[in-house]
Amino acid sequence: MSPLNKIILFCASTCALLAAAPIVSAHGILGNRFFPPTLSTDDPFAVDELDLPAFSYVKNAGDPASDEVDYGFEFDKEIFPRFALGVSDAYSTIKPNVGKFTKGFGNLALTAKYEVYEEAKSEFIFSVGVEIDLGGVGTKGFRDPFTTYTPTVYLGKGFGDLPDKLAMIQPFAVTAELGQSFPTSAAAPNVFGWGFAVEYSLMYLEQHVKDVGLPAPFKDMIPLVEFSMQTTENRGVGGLTTGTVNPGVLWITDYYELGLEAAIPLNHESGAHVGVTAQLWIFIDDLFPQTFGHPLFGARE
Amino acid sequence: MKTLQSPFAFMRFTLALILALAGIASAHAFVDHADPKVGAQIDAAPADVKIWFTQQIEPAFSKIRVFDAEGRQIDNKDCRQDKDDKKLLIVSLPKLPAGTYKVEWRVVSIDTHHTSGDFKFTIKP
Repeated sequence: MSPLNKIILFCASTCALLAAAPIVSAHGILGNRFFPPTLSTDDPFAVDELDLPAFSYVKNAGDPASDEVDYGFEFDKEIFPRFALGVSDAYSTIKPNVGKFTKGFGNLALTAKYEVYEEAKSEFIFSVGVEIDLGGVGTKGFRDPFTTYTPTVYLGKGFGDLPDKLAMIQPFAVTAELGQSFPTSAAAPNVFGWGFAVEYSLMYLEQHVKDVGLPAPFKDMIPLVEFSMQTTENRGVGGLTTGTVNPGVLWITDYYELGLEAAIPLNHESGAHVGVTAQLWIFIDDLFPQTFGHPLFGARE
Repeated sequence: MKTLQSPFAFMRFTLALILALAGIASAHAFVDHADPKVGAQIDAAPADVKIWFTQQIEPAFSKIRVFDAEGRQIDNKDCRQDKDDKKLLIVSLPKLPAGTYKVEWRVVSIDTHHTSGDFKFTIKP
């Protein structure tokens, strides 16, 4: 075969391959900004994600105090453009200082999320969703016997649109999650969940603002602080706010993200000891681009 | 010690999973580094802009464009993939005067994911 024919054959086969495989947007990217999956709060993107495994350790306050280890997972799949369904659960082991070691699954949770508005230039996204914790699904002692519905709004904003005079501020981004729970039990209180994450993306700094020469793996890291809070609203416990402040770091690679955070209790009711959370997010759209990374029905613009 | 052994086993599983994943897939492309460097202030006008991406790219669907401060495209519109390094994209430039220039890139990696972005560099007077 002549060199010219080889080139023609290569071009034709490349075009055929790309025509058969839709060109798709990468997960969690808006303009220059990559919004990573966060550990303690949910990010605003309705995309394909797999969080496996999610590991957390916390020393619970209380009498008796206990060591709790959770092994969780979350899987989200984009069904229609900008609309995703998800499922998650966690297996917990609790070892009290005094008493019996227990273990089991919590309530299975189903989620639906829709990206209502996004604007690449200003790195802004607004999404809505609902989480349904299925009552009675899980291990006795770890599950709630009733179902809880939690409508939620999600926000994300990067600061890459700040003027060049503030270039070193541009890598900052904030995501927020606000959810109002409605338990189907008259005994359980309504809870307003509110959380946000403040991120400083070294990836953004190196790739879009200024190459300051950070070596790997630091140039692929995102230091962040997450605030994960819950405020009870009624039924005898109204006005009680609990939660944790979670400083940590995310390390982004081509195929997965590793995250590690401390969980510092906000007050005594939130716990008496610092916990640790570690998660592995697998970018399944990169692992299986023919199957994931695009909606089941329709296509993103 | 059972509760401590389990997390270690869990993390070993995680590590094994990561190592297994690392060899079987491609991924979307981001900027690894560029010449001129992102945000650089340089003394001499560059002959071209080179961007090394983190993944091999598909040249038919990938390009670099360079704009001046007034938003005019000033590159020579000859964006090409390096013949030896499939992660490198190059566009040549005319002789540029001092000023700040914006580099916009849009690429499709070989797994068909597209990514895009921009950065600036400045030629000192």
